[in-house]
Amino acid sequence: MARERCVIIGNGPAANAAAAALRQETSDLDIMLIGEESFPHYRPHLLPAYVAGSLQKEDLFVTPASFYEECDIRIRLGQRVTHVKFDQRELVLSHKEIVPFDALIIACGGMQRIPERLQIFEELMLTLKTPADAQKWRAGLQTAETILILGGDLTSLSFAKALVSTGKRVQFILQEQSFWPLPLTPTLADEVKQRLTRSGVEVLEASRVHRLTQLSQDVIEVETDVGLMTANLVGAFYGLAPNVKFLVRSGLDVERGVLVDENLRTRFDLVYAAGDCAQIYHPALRDYWVSIGYKNALEQGKVAAQNLAGGMTTVAASPANIFCVEGVMVNTSWWMEF
Amino acid sequence: MATVVDITVEVCGMAGDGAIAAGALINEALSRGGFSVLGFDSYPAEIRGFGRCVTRSRIGSEEIVAMGAETHVLISLNEAEARSRIPFLAHRAMVIFESNPPTYVHHDSSFVAELPPDKLLFGMPLSDLASEATGATRGRNLTALGGFAAVCGINPALFIEVIEKKFKSKGEKVLHTNVKSFEAGYAYAAKEYSEKREHAFQFPELLRQDGKVMLSGNQAIGMAALDAGLKLYFGYPITPATPIMEFLAAALPKKGGRVVQMEDEIASIGAVLGSFYAGARSMTATSGPGFALMTELITHGVMAEIPAVIVNAQRGGPATGLPTKTEQSDLHAAVFGGPGDSARIVIAPTNVSECYHYTVKSFQLAEKYQTPVIVLTDFYLDNRVENVVIPRASEAETRNGNVFPPASEKGNYKRYCLTESGISPRALPGMEGYIFTATGLEHTEKGLPDYSPEVHTLMTEKRHKKIASALADLPEPEVYFGDDRLDVGVIGWGSTFGSVLEATRTSRKKGLRVAALKITSLSPLHTTIIQGFMERCSHVLVPELNYEGQLANLIGHLHHRPVVRLNLVTGTPFPPSMIIQKIEDLIHGEAA
Repeated sequence: MARERCVIIGNGPAANAAAAALRQETSDLDIMLIGEESFPHYRPHLLPAYVAGSLQKEDLFVTPASFYEECDIRIRLGQRVTHVKFDQRELVLSHKEIVPFDALIIACGGMQRIPERLQIFEELMLTLKTPADAQKWRAGLQTAETILILGGDLTSLSFAKALVSTGKRVQFILQEQSFWPLPLTPTLADEVKQRLTRSGVEVLEASRVHRLTQLSQDVIEVETDVGLMTANLVGAFYGLAPNVKFLVRSGLDVERGVLVDENLRTRFDLVYAAGDCAQIYHPALRDYWVSIGYKNALEQGKVAAQNLAGGMTTVAASPANIFCVEGVMVNTSWWMEF
Repeated sequence: MATVVDITVEVCGMAGDGAIAAGALINEALSRGGFSVLGFDSYPAEIRGFGRCVTRSRIGSEEIVAMGAETHVLISLNEAEARSRIPFLAHRAMVIFESNPPTYVHHDSSFVAELPPDKLLFGMPLSDLASEATGATRGRNLTALGGFAAVCGINPALFIEVIEKKFKSKGEKVLHTNVKSFEAGYAYAAKEYSEKREHAFQFPELLRQDGKVMLSGNQAIGMAALDAGLKLYFGYPITPATPIMEFLAAALPKKGGRVVQMEDEIASIGAVLGSFYAGARSMTATSGPGFALMTELITHGVMAEIPAVIVNAQRGGPATGLPTKTEQSDLHAAVFGGPGDSARIVIAPTNVSECYHYTVKSFQLAEKYQTPVIVLTDFYLDNRVENVVIPRASEAETRNGNVFPPASEKGNYKRYCLTESGISPRALPGMEGYIFTATGLEHTEKGLPDYSPEVHTLMTEKRHKKIASALADLPEPEVYFGDDRLDVGVIGWGSTFGSVLEATRTSRKKGLRVAALKITSLSPLHTTIIQGFMERCSHVLVPELNYEGQLANLIGHLHHRPVVRLNLVTGTPFPPSMIIQKIEDLIHGEAA
């Protein structure tokens, strides 16, 4: 008789934590992890240090291939789920493979967000979500002198500091409304600016970017609300959006992320969501909230797996949950801006 | 430091998918791009319609002499067939496959699902792209090549050039369709995998080499026969020798010669003996089953001292065996096959270039020593392609080898006169004053039948002395890498020698005292040289693509301890890694 199969969509911290916890809970389950990226599980928050050269590439990666073999977890990388048929308990991959499942954990994380008005300039900007992005930065930095950072998500703050450490000139246009999904209050924005300045980053007066133009192979002109400027590399750091487009017509409740209760359950039996792609209900708030950050994702992945195996663990978060942003305490953790 | 390239690319599909054609284009494009290329196709025995076709190309920035066991890039044109290739994929191998098949595939039978997680996947809607570009899906093999070029950073112009060369003669429409199919795949992969390709292997840009051609062993044999002045080819089709006949059927009439398809192999060898008897250079090519039919008449050539050139392109045996698989199991048949003590010359090239030069040489040897000469190849050597400088034979190589009788013998001609070397001057029919009888019966010096013990003893000795004296004209065994004392000496012949050479090179890089010996003259054997090499070795290892260790049987007695046999009958080329492992086992005392 075939073993029951649990498919985990994703290969980030939530997905891997879920797989490991699930294997601890049960030995006879067929666990299959499907990741869209081709990289093994890595620590995205270390990418700035890797770009700056203070870390080796191998330091990024978390889980060795042997772990999956030892734990009898099937991992499939570079493969994309295009839709899920919950009534038939099967999902479809982009190459038309039908994968039946008995249980499902959606932990597909987020995708790089670029504001709509800047999307036409996408090719002129670099992002930093994956090791491949980091590789592009490393290549570009070999000749670049001036780097302009747009936006201001969590990654951008540590990245700007890392770039300064390489001796590059780093300019920053902090777009307060882009501190996504957490908008900065004017007070916090001022504090962030001061901290960036103290780190050697030039925080510019501009607050809006209108246009980017490639002047030459290594010079980009940026038109802002206060005038024109040039840089050798431009980075876009507007946070991540939940990567749930493929679920929109699946019957699952999807708002910005997959809606789950405090036990990370979706409306379908034995289907859970965890990490950056989940929008979690908070009974005290009577609203859904979203978490960001590596540690939160690990925790949620573990909770989803435990609950799938029969537990009833609640995700640990209080309305007063606090994030630490480069030393600045941000006292909000729920979904504020869409 | 320049990147050292050593990549094996494999195209796999069902018969009719164009896998073999795609492989040929890869070979030629990368050969033009300055790489050393060795390609080998594997296809079903059936004539057409079904079965798995696989073409493998090993591409290197340094000389490639053997096919490796692992595949670094798999281009799948048929996922059901490609599943069998998964075990051969190297760590982090790239896989290009159809991402939009006509039907959904259940997980349990999915090719992609079976791929280990370390593989880099490059799904492409091959049929859709080809169809959008040309209106038909037929060019999807070219579309896949476009994807391969884009992902691996290969200049597309190299492929466009070879596509134009291949399809130019088929009209503008066909050419356009193929170029468009390629371009569609290139554009798709360049865009879709602009980031991911950074993790794929990138081919560096080398200096172009336009002076080399992709040549198979069979083509080289055909070219050699033409350059040697072949007048007549007689044959009966059989895999893997048929391409020689096909090549000559097109080329020989243009040089005033003729190709005749005979009713069978017996007729073929009979006609070859007849032609040489009359003084015309002729040849036949066959494989194991056909060679078996020829054996009686080969020994007739031995007895009557008539030249003949026979190519035996070995395949898996016995009997009909494995028509499209490689094996080296006809060595005993080539050296000993047939009734009586029928010594003959057997020469076995080890690469494409030697296929050319030893075939040229075989005509001269046959004439000079008045005996059948067997050129012993195998499927892997016949069908593999290497990029080589177009071979040319020197005037000395193509010179007529006949030894005619002096005028003093006119009227008293002894066709089989006993001489020091065993070679008796041979008159051709029609030469005035040199009448003789040529017979398969034992005979006197004049050629008259005689079964007396004295005559048979003398004539048997004469024929064997003649073959022994041929050693002077036969290539000596070559030693690769020489130390006075060797822990392991590896002896190779035929197509396996490339694997022996690579294994030896690799082992020496690891600091092991190893050397290789190449034997191309298998009958007669240069026993003194072979024994001299063996004496320097603690272990003698003989890898062969046969079960019985047929070369080991021939030379084993020359060593003071049993030679170590390494035999493989998988129908596939000998992987160097197996030889390396055996060398290490021997040195570390884990095998005897």
